[in-house]
Amino acid sequence: MNNVKVDALVIGGGIAGMQAALDLGDQGYQVALVEKEPSIGGKMITLSKVFPTLDCCSCITTPKMSAVAHHPNIQMFTYCEVESVDQQENGFDVSVLQKPRYVNADTCTGCRLCEYACPITVPSSFDRGLGSYRTARVPFSTAVPQIAVLDIENCILCGKCEKVCPVGAIDFTQQPETFSIDTTSIVLATGFELTDLDAKNEYGAGELPNVIDPLMMERFLAPTGPYGRVLRPGDGMEPMTIAYVQCAGSRDETLGIEYCSRTCCMYAIKQSMLISGALPLAEVTIYYMDIRTFGKGYEQFYQNAKAMGVEFVRGKVAKITEDENHNPVVRVERTEEGDVVERTFDLVVLSLGMVAGDPLSKFGLTPAEDGYIKIPSVNASPCETRRPGIFVTGTAGGPMDIVDSIVTASAAASAASAYIRSKTQVGIEEREVAHV
Amino acid sequence: MMAAEKPELSRGELLKKLRAEHAQTVERTQELLKDQKRIQRDICSFIRETPKSVPEIAKEIGLPANQVLWYIASFRKYGIVVEDGMCEDYPLYRKAEEN
Ligand SMILES: Cc1cc2nc3c(=O)[nH]c(=O)nc-3n(C[C@H](O)[C@H](O)[C@H](O)COP(=O)(O)OP(=O)(O)OC[C@H]3O[C@@H](n4cnc5c(N)ncnc54)[C@H](O)[C@@H]3O)c2cc1C
Repeated sequence: MNNVKVDALVIGGGIAGMQAALDLGDQGYQVALVEKEPSIGGKMITLSKVFPTLDCCSCITTPKMSAVAHHPNIQMFTYCEVESVDQQENGFDVSVLQKPRYVNADTCTGCRLCEYACPITVPSSFDRGLGSYRTARVPFSTAVPQIAVLDIENCILCGKCEKVCPVGAIDFTQQPETFSIDTTSIVLATGFELTDLDAKNEYGAGELPNVIDPLMMERFLAPTGPYGRVLRPGDGMEPMTIAYVQCAGSRDETLGIEYCSRTCCMYAIKQSMLISGALPLAEVTIYYMDIRTFGKGYEQFYQNAKAMGVEFVRGKVAKITEDENHNPVVRVERTEEGDVVERTFDLVVLSLGMVAGDPLSKFGLTPAEDGYIKIPSVNASPCETRRPGIFVTGTAGGPMDIVDSIVTASAAASAASAYIRSKTQVGIEEREVAHV
Repeated sequence: MMAAEKPELSRGELLKKLRAEHAQTVERTQELLKDQKRIQRDICSFIRETPKSVPEIAKEIGLPANQVLWYIASFRKYGIVVEDGMCEDYPLYRKAEEN
């Protein structure tokens, strides 16, 4: 594989990384975007609709994914891991590992015949394990690129995929391959992960089948979700009573996560409204410490949910157990009523918090106390890291929503652009704006 | 792009070599495939004539309801079963017509 020379390397292909790459590409810089998964899109492509507008998430994300893939100044490297980042005189030498897809990316047309022929079914990470896909598959219907990937760790080597592939793209001989990217600047957009569903023993330690995480609910609410409707995963019942437990992974010293994850109030409110649409007879109760609706239009969104009949109960959920039918039982101290009550629900969603996605050591960066990238001058330069030339955007820098991820993406692209110019002494007007 | 230095082996020899390298994986996935085939057969024969809910299927074939739902979701995705009505709060599933 040939080595690559670019002005900017964006690491992570979620909404923040895609926006940063597009902004830099549009300015005429040569950009490489490295994504560890077989498709770009990040968490956003898995969401159903977005607060506060309730626009279809896929309708916003898919055009961005497509724009990245077709941009003349962006080279996209999916299913790749950054191995090391070495400082050079005028930039960085980044070593990248291309993981084998066992499919020839140049010839695969994404027709999915391999997927239909493959006999092994495995849990789909796109559906958070609640849906399935085959060992040979296109990761999801709107994946970019539309190229199949073969999960060799769950492969029986029966060769059925190879037999049906009309273009002979299956290639069992592929090996991991390392190549290097020579870049002037780096934008880190490695995103977030949810706190673990099993982190709290009081909340069932991940053992209760009808206590789920909020990204699972996003998938149930999405038209492409695993069940095609909202069902509880324990037994396929349409839930009629649903509880949200706020701050289930944030503002919690016992988990070592003392900060507010900033999106949980809003995604819980959004999901409760979407549930009311999908299951008009369902009752949704949100247990909260305080509701934080800080963004433009967010308070109105909250008031709309109340007007729609979503019940907001101020109180801290102390414990979740289950009855003999796997119905979760929530024990809550209601602060306004000053009592402790137990209530049985069909389904409980834990509003888990956000934590930093990827270890920072390979980028030569140290985390701050909250585990996210340390930003030395957060008020003056919120996208600059301790290493000159390396910028951070989106939830790689701390919990934030999509609006803020996009704003910081443009900010990081702008800071990277200034840095590239200072290093290369080339103004944008002198640069050959490729193919534009 | 990746297969720059492909060894000069036939497809059969290559698969043999890979099979040796992935012997344990293949053994594990063969077991998995056997189980999956058996469960598919059991579920499909139970819902061939009359649509059933996930708890009914679970009771009949002796598998936990959450696992049955996972299989049903997978069968729906790949066109093996279809949803066919509701019984109280539970959707019912039946085997799809074969074409
Ligand atoms: C349940 C839920 C619902 C939400 N709903 C909304 C909503 O309605 N509206 C809203 O505004 N916000 C919402 N959010 C917040 C929103 O999801 C985030 O703000 C947004 O997805 C952050 O995007 P990102 O690009 O920073 O991170 P991510 O989406 O996490 O993307 C990071 C990308 O980087 C890749 N990556 C990670 N490490 C590496 C590496 N080492 N090398 C290469 N690639 C790497 C990942 O695979 C991923 O593709 C919600 C969040 C949750 C949890």
